[in-house]
Formats: sequence, C-alpha cells, structure tokens
Amino acid sequence: MQENSKDTIIVEDVYKTFNVYMDKANTIKEKLMFFKRNKKEKRQVLKGINLQIKQGEAVALIGVNGSGKSTLLKLMTKIIYPNKGKIITNGKLTSLLELGAGFHPDFSGRENIYFNASIFGLTKKEIDERLDNIIEFSELGSYIDNPVRTYSSGMYMRLAFSVAINVNADILLIDEILSVGDQHFQEKCFNKMKELKEQGKTMVFVTHSMESVKNLCDRAVWLYEGKIRMDGNTEEVVNEYIKVTT
Amino acid sequence: MKIFKNLYDYRELLKTSVKKEIRGKYKNSFLGVLWSFLNPLLQILVYAIVFPLILKNNEKNYVIFLCCGLIPWTFFSTAMTRAAFTMIENGNIIKKVYFPREILPISIVTSEAINFLISTLIIIAFVLVYGVGITRFMLYYPIIFIVQYILILGISFIVSSITVYVRDLQHLISVALQLLFYATPIVYNANTIPENFKWVLNLNPMTYVINAYRDIFYNQVAPDVKALLIVALVMIVICVIGYIIFNKLQKGFAEEL
Repeated sequence: MQENSKDTIIVEDVYKTFNVYMDKANTIKEKLMFFKRNKKEKRQVLKGINLQIKQGEAVALIGVNGSGKSTLLKLMTKIIYPNKGKIITNGKLTSLLELGAGFHPDFSGRENIYFNASIFGLTKKEIDERLDNIIEFSELGSYIDNPVRTYSSGMYMRLAFSVAINVNADILLIDEILSVGDQHFQEKCFNKMKELKEQGKTMVFVTHSMESVKNLCDRAVWLYEGKIRMDGNTEEVVNEYIKVTT
Repeated sequence: MKIFKNLYDYRELLKTSVKKEIRGKYKNSFLGVLWSFLNPLLQILVYAIVFPLILKNNEKNYVIFLCCGLIPWTFFSTAMTRAAFTMIENGNIIKKVYFPREILPISIVTSEAINFLISTLIIIAFVLVYGVGITRFMLYYPIIFIVQYILILGISFIVSSITVYVRDLQHLISVALQLLFYATPIVYNANTIPENFKWVLNLNPMTYVINAYRDIFYNQVAPDVKALLIVALVMIVICVIGYIIFNKLQKGFAEEL
C-alpha cells in the first residue's frame, strides 16, 4: 500500500433494502384491484457496511451467493442508491457488471466501441486516441467492422472487456467476469489489470475464484448476510473463508 | 447545476444517442431519413383535404395555416410518446451501467427537435409556393423554437420518469394527446371558438407557441412576445420542477425496471 494515499471509495454505514413483490402490480388497475395481493416483502441485503478503499488498492469482495457483494458494487457505481448511509467515490469510475451492456447488435464493432465508451463518459477525441489500442487488445482484427450480432460470445466479451479496460478510469469495479474468453485472453486480461494496479488505479472485484483473488488483490473483504465478516490481508481472509465454507 | 456538468462530461454519449434516435427511427425503411420529411408532408395533405370539407373555414391559404399548427404539434406529440417509452426501452442499459439518466429524455427531445427543424422547410416551401413571401418577422423563429423546446423538455422529464413507476401513463398519454389535439388551435382558428371555451385554449401552452408560428409565417406580423415570454418563464419553472422530480425518481429506476 502506498504512503499517504487518500480514500477513493468511502462507504459509510450503508443499508440497502429491496422490495420483493410476490406478484408485482405495474398498472393502476392491478394496484387497485389486487391491493391485498400487493404484499411486498422487504429484504435487507446490506446492514450497515463501513468500508474505506484507498487509492491503488485492489480489493476483492468474497462471500457466498446472496451475501450482498453485487449489491454493494452496484451501489458504488450509482446504479442503485442506498436507503441509509452514504457512498462517496472520488475519480472517474468504470464498471463491468455485465459485459457489453448497451451494445447495439446491428452496428459494427467499431461503432459499438464509440457507443460503449461514450456511456463510460469519454469524448470523441479520447475514444479516437484509444481506438487502436482497444481493437488491438480485443484481437478482433478485420471482424471489427462486422455487425456485433455476427460475433461469437467469446468475441463479444473480448470487445466489451477491451473497451472497459482501456477507458482509463481511476476506479474499476468488476463483477465476476474474470472468466472472459480462452486461457490466452484471460491471462492477457490478468496482466493488464496488474499493470493498471501498478499505475495506481483502484479496483474492486466480486469473484468466487479464490485463485484470482490471491493473484491480484492485496485486500479481501468477506461479506456474510449483509455484513462485513472479515476484512484484511487476502491470504488470511481467503484461508479463513475456505475453512468455514468447506 | 450538476446537470450541466453531467451533460458536458457525457456530451459524446448525448451526441451518439441523438444520432441513434434519428437514424434508428427509419432504419430498414427504403426511403430512410427522407421519411422525417415525407411523414409530416403527407399528414398535412390528408388534413388539408379532409378538414376544409368538414369544417367550413374561411382561412385562405389553409395549407400554410395548417402547417404552422400541425408541424409544431407533431414535434410535441411524438416527443411525448417517445419520452414515455424511453426508460423502459433502455431498461437493459439502465440496470447495468451508470450514466446520467437525463441523457435519455434529452436526446429524445433533441432528435425530435432536429426533425422539427427539417420539417420547417415544408412550411417555408408552402409559403413560397403560395407566393406569400418571406418577411423579417421570421427572424423570431429561433425564439419560438427555444420556448417550445423548453416546454417539451420539461414535460418529458416528468413523463419519462413517472412511467417507470406507473406504466398506465404510456396509454393515458396517447389518449390525452388526442384530446389535446382538439384543444389546441391546430386545424381551426383560435378566434372561432365560442367565448366560454376559450379558457381551455388559454391554459394550453401549445396555443401560444402555435399562434406565434402562425403570426410569423401565416399572418406575417410580429408574434405576441409578451405572451411568449410568460410561457417561457412558466416553462422554465416547469422544466426545473420536472428535473427535480426526475432526479428524485431516477434513483429507483434500476430497481423498478
């Protein structure tokens, strides 16, 4: 960890509750007619999370399914908002919650690079500068000018990942997508992420692959039933986690 | 003020989505973007044939009269209808990526505004064909256009965010628009309306906009600037309120969609 680095992500006493409808009424008619059936169940997903992530840290969020990892990540990207508490992020943020969100199937790979990168808040000039890097990283070659709908799922993911990783954001939030592409491309992504880490980018991963956690992260946060159960050195947390869950 | 910084930071997204809206609308059709020209033209022809038959109106150059009402109205009504759908249409992206959500209604309104600017050529074409001539009053056009843009944007903020929570609004809007069509002096002259119904027209902001367009293109006089300014002020207030509502509601979009 670097000396006197400031916090880039601050999570302060965050609570998040989802309303789970048994049978969701979307229209007024349904709301009026079946208002008894309109029972909603509150499900508290996060119960008082406190977390400070410093610049240049690579943090893994681990935990069993339903422990609130993805919710926490979504809160950090501002896709959803907490019911209580506060989340502050400093710096440009990119998230990879799902690869290729917002790809338009009829447009070519090249056009989609522009569209996807602009969703991440890049200007035309910035995209122009990065275009060659993105295409090269994706290894799509001449396919880049074909419509995205003709791509195989591997090509699709490669393109999406290449865009996201070349955005040059200060904070990278990644949800369970380290399983991109073939062995060769995975390694390449891995190396790229290590490189970004050395450049002082902050990264937060959600993953179940303990192997990649140990390889890439210097800190792990174990979430259990919406609370932080353990937070610290990757090795210790992962070992404890494996011991408890198996 | 955050909205302006957001829009500036995400200007490329705004630009590409406006482009996508315009291009996507007529994608796969043989005549392509030409339709944004043909569509209103054909509509005007239909109305110009039908309405003189059923309404005994004494408007001379009825086609120009009609253009000035119908083209701004089309801008209004298509923007409304599409704004109501935009969040649901883009639900997939909203749930997965963060970007300023206000980009969506703004790009709908802007793309429709561009369509409107293109359609204005039709008005000018008819003005020339009928030999009415171009006058300096047409210089008021940008002012009226801006007032109309703010008006439509403000309502779009409200409509687009509320439909996420109350889906009925989509259907209500199309009915409301039909009703509003007749409550706006589009096919008839506002002065021919019985005195006790005048208040309906006076409450309708589109009345002032259409009257202003009619003043500069059809009557060839200066528009009622005072009325227009009042509409503009009211609309700026509505736009701000609309944005505040939008901003409140957008926090729940990803969960509701």
